[in-house]
Amino acid sequence: MKTFKTLFLTETKLMIRDMNNLIFGVGFSVIFAIIMGMIMGDKPAFEGADYSFIEQSFGAVVAIGIGATGLMGLPLALADYRHKKILRRFLVTPVSPAMLLLVQFIVNLLVSLLCLVLVYMVYALFFDFDMAGSFLFFILAYLLVLLSIYSIGMMLASVSPNIKTANLLCCAFYFPMFFFSGATLPYEIMPTALRNASDILPLTQGIKLMKVTSLGLPVENMIFPIMLMIVLAVVCILLSIRFFRWE
Amino acid sequence: MEKALVIKELTKSYGSLIAVDNLNITVEKGEIFGLLGHNGAGKTTSIECILGVKKADHGSALIFGKDPCKDRRRTFEKVGVQFQQSNYQDKIRVDEICQVTASLYKKPADWESLINTFDLTEMKRKMVAELSGGERQRLSVLLALIPNPELVFLDELTTGLDAKARRTVWKYLEGLKQQGLTIMLTSHFMDEVYTLCDRICILKKGNTIFQGFVSEAIANSPYDNLEDAYLWYSGEEEHKDENL
Repeated sequence: MKTFKTLFLTETKLMIRDMNNLIFGVGFSVIFAIIMGMIMGDKPAFEGADYSFIEQSFGAVVAIGIGATGLMGLPLALADYRHKKILRRFLVTPVSPAMLLLVQFIVNLLVSLLCLVLVYMVYALFFDFDMAGSFLFFILAYLLVLLSIYSIGMMLASVSPNIKTANLLCCAFYFPMFFFSGATLPYEIMPTALRNASDILPLTQGIKLMKVTSLGLPVENMIFPIMLMIVLAVVCILLSIRFFRWE
Repeated sequence: MEKALVIKELTKSYGSLIAVDNLNITVEKGEIFGLLGHNGAGKTTSIECILGVKKADHGSALIFGKDPCKDRRRTFEKVGVQFQQSNYQDKIRVDEICQVTASLYKKPADWESLINTFDLTEMKRKMVAELSGGERQRLSVLLALIPNPELVFLDELTTGLDAKARRTVWKYLEGLKQQGLTIMLTSHFMDEVYTLCDRICILKKGNTIFQGFVSEAIANSPYDNLEDAYLWYSGEEEHKDENL
C-alpha cells in the first residue's frame, strides 16, 4: 500500500508537470465540447429526434479523453520508461510489474475522469445539458469502455520492442479512432460505407454504448458492444502481462 | 555459512562475440569484491547476468542462495544496485526519487540521513536532471543503499567524483562493511580497488585472468603496486613493450 501510494502520488505530480496528458486528455475534449455546443446549440440530433445533438454527443466527446489517455498517455509513458531504462531499475527491486501497470492505469484514469467531469460541467452550465439516462448505467458503460481501451494501450506498450514502434502503434490505433469512431466527427453524419468501416473500431462500439446509456435508450441491442468490450479487456490485459518486458 | 553470491560457469555471448566466458566467483558475506577489466572486458555484462537483467546463455548466479530470475521479489528485498548509467523519470526531484525508492522496500534506510551523508542536502528539492555529473553519481550510489541492503552492486561507483567525494563514499562503504554489508563493485581506479577490495577478479575479453586477494595479485606479478600489476594482467604491458 505504501508502495502504491508513493508511486501514485509521484507519478501524478510528474504527469501534471509534463502537461501533455492534460492537454490532449482534458484540454482538447473541453475545447471540443465548447465548440460543439456553440455550433449545434440545442438543435435536435436529427429531424424528429427526441433528444438534442448535444445530448447525443456527450458520450462521444468524453471518449476523446478515454482515447487520448488510454491509447497515447498510458502506453507512451510505459514505453518511455522502458526506453529510458527506468524499468530496468525497477527490475532490480521487489516491485511487481502489475503494480507499475496499475499505477499508470490509475493516473491516466484520473485524467480521463477529470475530462468527464469538465465536459459534463461545460455542457450542463452553458448548454442546458441534462443526462436523460441513468447516471449509474452511464458510469458503468464509461468504465467498461475505459477498461477495454486502456487494456489495448497496455498491450501496445508491452508488445512494442522500442519507443519508435510504440509511437507508431499508438498513432495507428489512436488516430483512426479519434477521427472515425464518432468521437470527433459525428457517427450519425458519416456516409454508410464509412459507418460500416467505423463499426470495426472498438471505440465506435464503446461510444454507441455510452450514447445509449446517457440518452436512456433501451440497451437490448447493446449486447454486442458490451461483449466486445469485455472480451477485448480480458484478452488485452492477459497479453499485456504475458508480453511485459523490463528492457 | 550461506554465501552472499555464488556464480557458476556464467557464460554470455552476443552473436559471435563471447562477452563473458565461464565466470566462477564466490563472494563471502561481509566481503568487498572487485570485478576489474578494461572497457568491454565483460564487467557490466557479468553484473547484468548475475542480476537477471540479461539472460545468461549458460551457468547460474545465486544471491543469498536465491535465483534472482525466479525469486525476484525476495532476492531484491535486501539487494541494492547501482547501474553504470542510471536514468530517472523526466522532471522528477531528488527527494521524490528517494521517496519512491524507499517505498519499494519493507525496511528501507533513512534516505534523509543518506542525503546528508552524501552531501546532497541542498539538492533535495532540485530536479535530478539539473544535477551535475558528480551529484548524479552520488545520488545513484545513495539510491543503491536505500534498501538497507545486505549485498550491494556498484558498477563504477566513483566515476566522475572529485577526490573529496570519493573519500566520503569510500569511508561510508567501509563503515557499512564493518556492519556486515557485502559489496560487489567494478572500478577503473586501482587506488580505489586497493583501498576497498578484499578480493578481485580481473577479466580480459570475458575470460578470468586472475582471481584472488589483492596482495596475491601484486605478489604474483613483477610489480609492487596494484596499478602496474593490473595493467600487466590485463595485457596493457605487452603493448607498451611492443611500442618500445
